[in-house]
Amino acid sequence: MEAWIKAIFFPGFLFLLVVFLGIFYMERKILADVHLRTGPYYVGKWGILQTTADVFKLLQKEFIIQRRANKLLFSLIPFVAFLMVAALIAFIPFSEHSYIVSTSFDLLVVLALVTGMPPVFFYAGWASKSKYSFIGGLRVVNQMISGEIPLWLSALAAAVFYGTLNHLQIVHESSWLGFFILLPAFLIFVTATLIVTDRPPFDIPEAEQEIVYGFLTEFGGFNYAILVLSKLIELFALYSVAVVLFLGGFKGPVLPGIVWFFIKIFGLYLFTFVVRASTPRIRMDQLLRFCWKVLTPLALLNLAFIILVKMFIS
Amino acid sequence: MGNSISLAGYTFVVEETKEISGEDLGLLQEKLLQLNWGVQHPASGPMRLKVWVDGDEVVKVDPDIGYVLRLLEKLVEYRTWQNAIVNVERACFIDNFGTMTGYSIAAEKIADVELPKKADYVRTILCEGGRIVSHLIGLGSFVGVMGVHTPMQWALIAREKFLDAFEVYSGQRIATASIVPGGVRFEPTGKFIEKMVSAVDFLEKEFIPRYAEVFIDNPTLKIRSQGIGVVPKEKAIELGLAGPALRASGVASDVRKDYPYAAYGELDFKVVTKEEGDAYARYLVIWEELIESAKIIRQAIEGLPEGEWRTKFPIKVPAGEAYVNVEWARGCFGFHLVSDGGTGPYRLKMRAPSFANLWAMPEMMKNVKLADVPVIFASLYMCHGDIDR
Repeated sequence: MEAWIKAIFFPGFLFLLVVFLGIFYMERKILADVHLRTGPYYVGKWGILQTTADVFKLLQKEFIIQRRANKLLFSLIPFVAFLMVAALIAFIPFSEHSYIVSTSFDLLVVLALVTGMPPVFFYAGWASKSKYSFIGGLRVVNQMISGEIPLWLSALAAAVFYGTLNHLQIVHESSWLGFFILLPAFLIFVTATLIVTDRPPFDIPEAEQEIVYGFLTEFGGFNYAILVLSKLIELFALYSVAVVLFLGGFKGPVLPGIVWFFIKIFGLYLFTFVVRASTPRIRMDQLLRFCWKVLTPLALLNLAFIILVKMFIS
Repeated sequence: MGNSISLAGYTFVVEETKEISGEDLGLLQEKLLQLNWGVQHPASGPMRLKVWVDGDEVVKVDPDIGYVLRLLEKLVEYRTWQNAIVNVERACFIDNFGTMTGYSIAAEKIADVELPKKADYVRTILCEGGRIVSHLIGLGSFVGVMGVHTPMQWALIAREKFLDAFEVYSGQRIATASIVPGGVRFEPTGKFIEKMVSAVDFLEKEFIPRYAEVFIDNPTLKIRSQGIGVVPKEKAIELGLAGPALRASGVASDVRKDYPYAAYGELDFKVVTKEEGDAYARYLVIWEELIESAKIIRQAIEGLPEGEWRTKFPIKVPAGEAYVNVEWARGCFGFHLVSDGGTGPYRLKMRAPSFANLWAMPEMMKNVKLADVPVIFASLYMCHGDIDR
């Protein structure tokens, strides 16, 4: 298959849109199940089209830019954010042959792009020229920077263990032994992912009851949809990376590779949703203390441990 | 400038307002940032808190109320003794029985009407039902301000059962208008009792175990709310806190126990108190009172006497006045009712517990983090309708 066809159709844009509608639907249904209610029900069979309807509602909305806002930045940011996270997906091998590009620096590029997100979200808050957005922007920078260091360290642990940055090669070399040795790194990675992508219980930049909606407060309609989608894609991409690095990617018996990939992703998402339904949001200072005093030292120790293991294995 | 106001000798100082242009940063230039936490805010309800923050620290909080002022106390003066309950119960729609009971007891005191025993028991059942309904919402909204909506959903399911019982009793689910001077308005039918028992069963067998498993002793909830908004015992009395907030500071003040009204004197229950006085203690007090209330309802249903549920209340009440306190869901609710011998109240003053708690709040919100503002706000368990009346 040509690479551009891949980028548009199969592991690319359209495929991802369908996947995200599915993830949104699952999130709503699982949350509804925990809440003991029904969830989406009326739009489409079993409410499957509810999210589609919501997205189309957002598309119809008026394009509102605040009078004081920086108009260029304000309208540009959602697309910049979307582009940055969409680029992440290109490096994910969903199965043996369905990936868009594969380089020897896959992991590095993904982590670098994720590290590039805080300024984008900060500018989203800053360009809105609203108090709540501005505080949200500051919080996002604070939180992401403290979350990214454990993220990098735990991802690099896997890279050190397998001796490569190429996703495909990592998947091919993965084994049960690797899984158990990298288990601490996996846990740190998933926690750091929740922090970096502002998922509950670390949704401090969007804390609705404190600062309305953080840097998303002034956004509406299509801009809002794109920004939220880019945050979702970021989470999806990081979970995909977690699957590739720690859970053996598309490997698995009987079923085709892509099915295994999504079963593993779904497991991670299930964890996210259940945490969301049961864990209150923590405070910024508590988060910083947790990141710098617990997570980062653990990630460092873990990296040292992996280097030690690597010395004995090779 | 020859307008009449300046001629009369008044001067106005107009604060200089500076428009922040799109170019400069604007927000960073002032060290203190004033946030308008409310009127249109996801967690504020119909009131505004002016919150001055220095970075992430709250410097000062100033509540601005009056957005749901309905002049309930004034409206009562245009009603007859019986009809006035519709204004009294709207002080806060979540627990309407407590306010109606207080008003009715005050009216009965002035008119010197003796109540049948059954009316007292039905009032007790309804009041505790109202307390449970209110506490369920209180629990849900306390955890809700930390971004978890599960408790609210669970609480609403349990609340539905009680609302069903109220509907069977009075035909209305929320504003029931069911307690009047001279007793209760409707006969407590077998079906109502049955519904109430099934609601309490659901609460005790389904809701309480499920909720206690997840949201009581929840470690994240604890690190968020323990040690936040601490009010020591002496300070709580000095500030005039009311209800669960006062009991969480270690003051065993409960009108039901101290000055029993309705059937509370004959029932066995304990006053829940905590020593810590922080947001988590207030949450636990609400939680344990919920369990106590369910027990009170069971006792009251068992001891429900036979007989009339309503006596004749005179159309014209002799002149006089009465002050009555009742333990409402959110604290001690005072009614000062004055009669001038007419067909309706001459004057009614309601002393609202939420209002007392609200003005204690700025004291608690000094030097806390911005993220603690909604937690303390929700832990004080206030009702906006009650603040403004």
